[in-house]
Amino acid sequence: MVDLEKMRTIAKETVSRDDVRYLIGWRQGTYGFRVSPHFMKGPEEAEKLIFSPLCSNNLATYLTLTEKLPVPRGEQPDSRKIAVMVKGCDSRAVVQQLIEKGIERERVFVIGCPCEGVLDLKKVEEKFPGILSPVEVEWSGDKIIFTLPDGVKEVPKGEVLAKKCLSCRYPNPVMSDITLWDEVKSLGDGNYEDVKEMEEKNPQEKWSFWKDKFSSCIRCYSCRNVCPMCYCEDCVLDRLNPQWINRSANISENSAFQLARAFHLAGRCIECGECERVCPVDIPLMALNRKLAKEVREQYEFEPGLDPESKPFQSSYRPNDKEDFIL
Amino acid sequence: MDSMKLSKDKLNSFVAILAEQKQLYMPQAEGETLKYSPVNAKVQPDLVFSNTAVPAKSVVFPQVETLFRYEVEKTDIKMPAGEEERVLLGVRPCDARAMSIVDNLFSWDVDDPYYLGKREKTIVVGLACQKPGVNCFCSSVGGGPASTEGLDVLLTDLGESFLVKPLTEKGEKLCQAAGEIFEEASSDDLNSAEKLHQEAAALISRSIETGGIPEKLPGLWESGIWKEVSNACLGCGICTFLCPTCHCFDIQDEIEGFEGRRCRMWDSCMFGEYTLHTSGHNPRPTRRERTRNRINHKYNYFVQKFDVIACVGCGRCISSCPVNIDIIEILQQVKEAQ
Amino acid sequence: MCDNANPYVPYMATIEDTWYETLGDRCVKTFKVTLDDAAARDCWSHKPGQCAMVGLLGVGESMFCISCSPTEGDFLRFSIMRAGKNTQALHEQEIGDKITVRGPYGNNFPMDDWKGKHIITIGGGIGQAPLRPIVEYVKANLDQYAGLTMIYGARTSGDLCFKGEFEDMSKRDDLSCHMTIDLEEEGWNYNVGFVPTMLMDVNPSPENAIAITCGPPIMIRFVLENLKKLNFADEQIYTTLENRMKCGFGKCGRCNVGSLYVCKDGPVFSYATLKDVPEAFA
Repeated sequence: MVDLEKMRTIAKETVSRDDVRYLIGWRQGTYGFRVSPHFMKGPEEAEKLIFSPLCSNNLATYLTLTEKLPVPRGEQPDSRKIAVMVKGCDSRAVVQQLIEKGIERERVFVIGCPCEGVLDLKKVEEKFPGILSPVEVEWSGDKIIFTLPDGVKEVPKGEVLAKKCLSCRYPNPVMSDITLWDEVKSLGDGNYEDVKEMEEKNPQEKWSFWKDKFSSCIRCYSCRNVCPMCYCEDCVLDRLNPQWINRSANISENSAFQLARAFHLAGRCIECGECERVCPVDIPLMALNRKLAKEVREQYEFEPGLDPESKPFQSSYRPNDKEDFIL
Repeated sequence: MDSMKLSKDKLNSFVAILAEQKQLYMPQAEGETLKYSPVNAKVQPDLVFSNTAVPAKSVVFPQVETLFRYEVEKTDIKMPAGEEERVLLGVRPCDARAMSIVDNLFSWDVDDPYYLGKREKTIVVGLACQKPGVNCFCSSVGGGPASTEGLDVLLTDLGESFLVKPLTEKGEKLCQAAGEIFEEASSDDLNSAEKLHQEAAALISRSIETGGIPEKLPGLWESGIWKEVSNACLGCGICTFLCPTCHCFDIQDEIEGFEGRRCRMWDSCMFGEYTLHTSGHNPRPTRRERTRNRINHKYNYFVQKFDVIACVGCGRCISSCPVNIDIIEILQQVKEAQ
Repeated sequence: MCDNANPYVPYMATIEDTWYETLGDRCVKTFKVTLDDAAARDCWSHKPGQCAMVGLLGVGESMFCISCSPTEGDFLRFSIMRAGKNTQALHEQEIGDKITVRGPYGNNFPMDDWKGKHIITIGGGIGQAPLRPIVEYVKANLDQYAGLTMIYGARTSGDLCFKGEFEDMSKRDDLSCHMTIDLEEEGWNYNVGFVPTMLMDVNPSPENAIAITCGPPIMIRFVLENLKKLNFADEQIYTTLENRMKCGFGKCGRCNVGSLYVCKDGPVFSYATLKDVPEAFA
């Protein structure tokens, strides 16, 4: 059971530690169902913390998104920890960042929040349109309870939960320094039914599906920027010399961009679904990521973001690795 | 020219007439995204929508635009074909007002032939907004759900029909060309349109008193609010690409086989490379400086140059931001900051 | 550009002559070019301080200062450091090759307003390129100015641009020319030390003088400090800025410092203007 009191107490304690720089949690957003990442510098900001089915943001992204500015002459780099609140999927991002040495273990303090699934904002805002005042939302068994301006509404989870949560096998943080409440039961069995559906289409059907989707892409790079695994300092997409991908938004360049992005995430994507959530033109990016995740799982029995001691998928070789699919 | 009335069962014919005369653009779903796309006379017009995801600027300032073409290793420059006459149908007053604001920039000192070429050949037929979105705040920045700035014709949905109000010479000509299908509008029609406009204005629930903000911003240059409001920023291009007044662009050469073209494409001040020098130095090294520039550009620099806020309150940047960075909230903080 | 011309369409130009100013990874190469089109040559007119977009079809364009004065003749000069994609491609061009040029862009040094005054240029490294047109302009009209003092420095003697010209100028009695390098070098017969220190040694009087500086940001910072120590008023100090640019005429958005566009309101600014512009020295 979510215990906000405990969450805030732990947050206060954590942020007051000398070796903690700041804490990243979630807070109520500025309107309706929105939630915003909350950057806490001092204990007095703990009251704003929330945890609810609206907390979709994968805050592990901010561990690698922080800009590294040159340290002024005569000053020491700030080596204090960043404390971050994570759901199950988010914790896998932290683990994967550790595996890849994108972050250092002693620089993070992980606060685990077992999660019963977050909402698909598009579904929710369609169901309850035009709501301006901030709404409180809670889990209650197989229902979600909305405290709306005109009363309390109960909605079955299946109607409003994000798709990624319906098949989630890791609702509990796979690693943390402290876990805030009891573990919850997993919601799904991690099947790849959706991927199988896509696999059954013939190449023409697949291309016509993706052509339509990729044509909409406006190249805002929100999918890349929100991704906790997309943290290359010199991204291939930004490079001008050599320029791998033109900046023009057209079907050829958009496809190159989206496919490069997906392949760079093969065996690394921890399926938090953030790319798909943030896409302003509704490209079903998780369909690509999940296809590759399925391949990696089936071909190599590998799942990213589970064991910080494991080796990155791309740089590990086993003599019995399958190779019959290699052309 | 007086206002007229267009019965809804004649909307199809009206659209067909427009599409025969000029290239018609209407909001169309591309995938699940509403944007302005070229349509033909057979289109089934659907003018019931809150607002398009991609603003109408994309018609006069497309995301990618060819400036000229050339053959690789040759020196002849081939100019693109001249602009076609076009009609934009169903534009929200906020998007139309945005175009008239951006006109200032593209005609400042040196005329931009591509943008102005399209603008001159475009007739904008707007649809008064009746269902403002939760984040609409047009009335706070000088607009309104039935604002006519930037429009040539304003339609108001009266239920069974549209009130058609030509606003400019271009608009009058367009309406004259489609003359026979209109009916005369009664004073009752005019009154009910006026009433609908007022009702829509009353539905706008978000607001910010913008007076004083342009004058206050320079003093807040080093204020802590910029770090505060940009902490969660992902540095993506959503807020700027989907903004109807954002007009910054990049210029790139692109080559396919022996065909080369120099083109311009939307760029975003929220991207790091936007200001990155070749030396590696970046005058705006973090999202803090970039956010500060975005707000200052809209609410300070543009006001200094053109005496108008470069924001029409369409709310897209708020609704589409993945991390709930909310420009109204930022402006509120600007007002409250010491 | 010619009136009515599409401002995005460049003129074709031919490289008449080209030579290296400095060597190494980030070498500087000077290009002397002439516009191909006679009509374009007729309507082209630039003033010291202005810039132009120089590029290659199929590669791209970048903004460079025009490093010659109109008093030198009917041609253009650009001194370009090899750094990124465009400049690498430009460096591969030789005499007779075609490049694209559009402009001239931006404001200029107010050479007319400065008539009767003592002109002091303080440059560092490639930062001398935008100052060179001032030097050439004043040299060509020396009777109209109270004098010309040049202070120019670089890390090593090999990093000095326009070295031959400076050597010639330092032999003249009617000019005050001071070259300096950061560290001692064998065979170096001029000054040793940083440009800001050199400025204090030269100790120019602010009386009826104008000081123009351009160079690396750190040098500019100390030069400004020292000019203040020498009692130069803000209005007597000028510099020229650069930022990433794409269009050159105030549309593409990125070159702004505060509300000023470097491409239109600049690149030449007096310190009196710049000191209140928050991003100017960012």
